[in-house]
Amino acid sequence: MSIIEIDQVNKSFGEVSVIKDLSLRVEEHAVYGFLGKNGAGKTTTMKMLLGFLKPDSGEIKICGEKVIYGNARTNRYIGYLPDVPEFYGYMTPKEYLGLCGEITGLKKEVLQRRTVEMLQLVGLEGNNRRIRGFSRGMKQRLGIAQALLNEPKLLICDEPTSALDPVGRKEILDILSIAKGKTTVVFSTHILSDVERICDSVGILDQGRLALQGKVADIKNSYRKDVIEVDLSSGYPIDRIMKLLKEKPYISEITSNDLRLHIQLSGQEKAASQVLRFLSEEEVPLLRYEIMEPSIENVFLEVVQ
Amino acid sequence: MRAFFVFTKKELVEQLRTYKSLILLSVFFLFGMMSPLLAKLLPEILSGMELQGMKIEIPEPTVLDAYGQFFKNLTQMGLLATLLVFGGILSNEMSKGTLINILAKGLPRYTVLLSKFTAAVLLWSASYGLAAGVNYGYTEYLFENTAVHNLGFSLFCLWLFGCFIIAVILLSSTILSGNFGGLILSAGAIVVMLILNIFPGLEKYNPITLASKNVALLLGTATSADLTWNVVITCLLTLGSLLLSAILFHRKRI
Repeated sequence: MSIIEIDQVNKSFGEVSVIKDLSLRVEEHAVYGFLGKNGAGKTTTMKMLLGFLKPDSGEIKICGEKVIYGNARTNRYIGYLPDVPEFYGYMTPKEYLGLCGEITGLKKEVLQRRTVEMLQLVGLEGNNRRIRGFSRGMKQRLGIAQALLNEPKLLICDEPTSALDPVGRKEILDILSIAKGKTTVVFSTHILSDVERICDSVGILDQGRLALQGKVADIKNSYRKDVIEVDLSSGYPIDRIMKLLKEKPYISEITSNDLRLHIQLSGQEKAASQVLRFLSEEEVPLLRYEIMEPSIENVFLEVVQ
Repeated sequence: MRAFFVFTKKELVEQLRTYKSLILLSVFFLFGMMSPLLAKLLPEILSGMELQGMKIEIPEPTVLDAYGQFFKNLTQMGLLATLLVFGGILSNEMSKGTLINILAKGLPRYTVLLSKFTAAVLLWSASYGLAAGVNYGYTEYLFENTAVHNLGFSLFCLWLFGCFIIAVILLSSTILSGNFGGLILSAGAIVVMLILNIFPGLEKYNPITLASKNVALLLGTATSADLTWNVVITCLLTLGSLLLSAILFHRKRI
């Protein structure tokens, strides 16, 4: 089942067209990374999902229900973490979660249990200080706690890690990894290593259009360039082996850099294993043999160019 | 309904912990205390001063001087304090972004407005009631002949005007963005009402008359019948402001 269905949505602010004919689906239990440069339209899209902004045209559905601007009943399915969450500074985390739970109508016992669970999950248990004195990372963690309080079907996080130091980022990603077992997670980011760590599918937004979407594994597969890198131990005559390899029909290009060979395969079946077999027949002393995986970073840079 | 009570409770806690209640209550307590005292002591203070041989003769202060002081303080400094304390109740939350989490949880926007109005009216009523109570008690204690006309109605008029101003603040905050949107536009609205009162024909309908005829009511030179239209129109304008702010807030981009 699709948790999010966006159909041909357009949005512009004045003259500036921010979202152009955007259509996308997010399946249940996915961890969906929403990528894009600054200003690509990520936050705009998320705010439309929450009914905070009105699309100029097109339709958005959450769990099969249409999102209505200004009074989004669909928000009961959603936990939302804004990019810089703001809280009432005069409350303690416990009081704040109490307020959130009471607004959504959680039963008292459930609310108490969930509050304890959530504060433990984000590591703020036993913290009875007022939120006013919290660091950014603590606020971000409390933001996740309030978003997950109602066990939402969908967790939307707007750049949850962008403003944090490495430790804070790791903490947030760890919490999201725990959350993904129970809920669908959509999060926007431009930190690509975060995507590789926890996302199973991604959508890349470029200038208001969806430039690419799919499962991370599929995308990596389709962008695989059939490149092999080989490191030889020193002292071996690299020119000789290059010459021999160049004549092989399964190799289209070969370059060298010091003791490293960069081999572009021609795309024939089993080309990679033929290279390996040839190298061992020639008794070439190998230090490293690697079939290069495309990183999300390379894919991203290629797509948004 | 449940969400309304929860959010109103949050507003009241906010008033308490951000010292809004403390400020407004103590300012109004002071006004209630000071007004009769000043009226009573002013002649003595002035007569005690030797101004280069000049002697200022002031007639014996009456209970009307006390109430005159009271209404003057409340309609000037009191109103200013009220504006300052309540001016940011919506604007601040909008510009800080604290409402985003709450609205994302599905709290209807009109509930936010209604809760804020209710909580503000509660604090205004408590402060105003305190001022009026202290003023009444002190006046009774300090002055002998304390009979005045229309005291209850006169007090009610100013109370109603305060409620109206709170509704105007909410409306202003939904019209203008920014930290001081609510404050500036409300102050502007008061200035406009003051200017309108220059035209004698409009005085009968202008809400601000509720805050300017208080002493006349006590003197008996104005009667409650004279202000009926003002009361009716202020009630309608208060409701209208709330309704319009709900509509505007609903459309507001967050």
